[in-house]
Amino acid sequence: MTNKISLMERIALLEQTQQGQMIPAEEVWKLLDSVKEMFGEKTDGVHGHSSELYRELGELAKFINSAKKELQEVKASNIADEHLPNATNHLDAIVQMTEQATGRIMDECDQIGNFHNDVKERLLSADPAIDPNILMGVDDALNQAQTSVTHIFEACNFQDITVQRVQKVVKALQEIERQVLRMVVVFGLVENQSKLDEATRQELTEDVALLQGPQLAGQGLEQDDIDAILAKLL
Amino acid sequence: MVDKNMRILVVDDALTMRRIVINLLRQLGFTNMNEADDGTTAWEKLQSETFDLIISDWNMPKMTGIDLLRKVRADAKYGRTPFIMVTAEGKRENVITAVQAGVSNYIVKPFNAATLKEKLVKVVGDF
Repeated sequence: MTNKISLMERIALLEQTQQGQMIPAEEVWKLLDSVKEMFGEKTDGVHGHSSELYRELGELAKFINSAKKELQEVKASNIADEHLPNATNHLDAIVQMTEQATGRIMDECDQIGNFHNDVKERLLSADPAIDPNILMGVDDALNQAQTSVTHIFEACNFQDITVQRVQKVVKALQEIERQVLRMVVVFGLVENQSKLDEATRQELTEDVALLQGPQLAGQGLEQDDIDAILAKLL
Repeated sequence: MVDKNMRILVVDDALTMRRIVINLLRQLGFTNMNEADDGTTAWEKLQSETFDLIISDWNMPKMTGIDLLRKVRADAKYGRTPFIMVTAEGKRENVITAVQAGVSNYIVKPFNAATLKEKLVKVVGDF
């Protein structure tokens, strides 16, 4: 699944889906100001407590500022807007290429199967008739070749497994992208955030259930384990 | 003996997998296969035509294999029709969920013709 929307649109989407869970940096500053103001009014004469609080607030403000600067230096918005979507696009290209290549392999296998049938028919209808012993030998050889073709088809399983593994990686990348976008929004690293239309929002949220990839070797159950469970349950 | 002309519906959103399953079925001598690329399309075909066996993937858009299985089992026409789940979901809870939903057998990907034949023999009889 490729994200073909801008950073601004994705930020808007994130803000909509995360509404109420994030506090933009500007809001944090406002909050700090109001706390400062409140304690400034109420703690006149209690200098010890207010100065400790001011120190803590100052530390917090410095931390936010420094985190914001670091994020600007690593160009977090570029990571979210460019690098991660690019990585996802490359993975999508892998899926497409393996799909096309597998399709071609299977097309050729189908052709080989057609050739086998054609050769068999020609041999059987040859005039004068071919020695039955020779015919049997040729038939055996053709059947063996067909078995090999079947094995090629079986091996093409790799494509589906590859796609599912890639989808798992894409899901991880999307989660990283989401977290980076959160930081971009929280620290106010971009402005002029736009709203998303319904179609784009839907495109981004569908197929989530499909992103669970296949088990890795040694994880999950093998066919024998499944058969053992089935033997008990069925 | 099994009727090799039985109507088989192969359901998978991946074209590659549909081709593999259909080709392997053909190698095993079956001749009457149809296909659908998700559960919804499969359900429409099941309503408009009659099938003797369903082989379905689990993870698909629109309607998943497990949802299709539940729908099929709740249907008077297909309540007892053999249903084989072919999926990369090899987790114990998935197998149990499928059995509870009424699956006839379960094949984990990747698989080969021998495994497919073994499962077919179990659900439709020897051939």
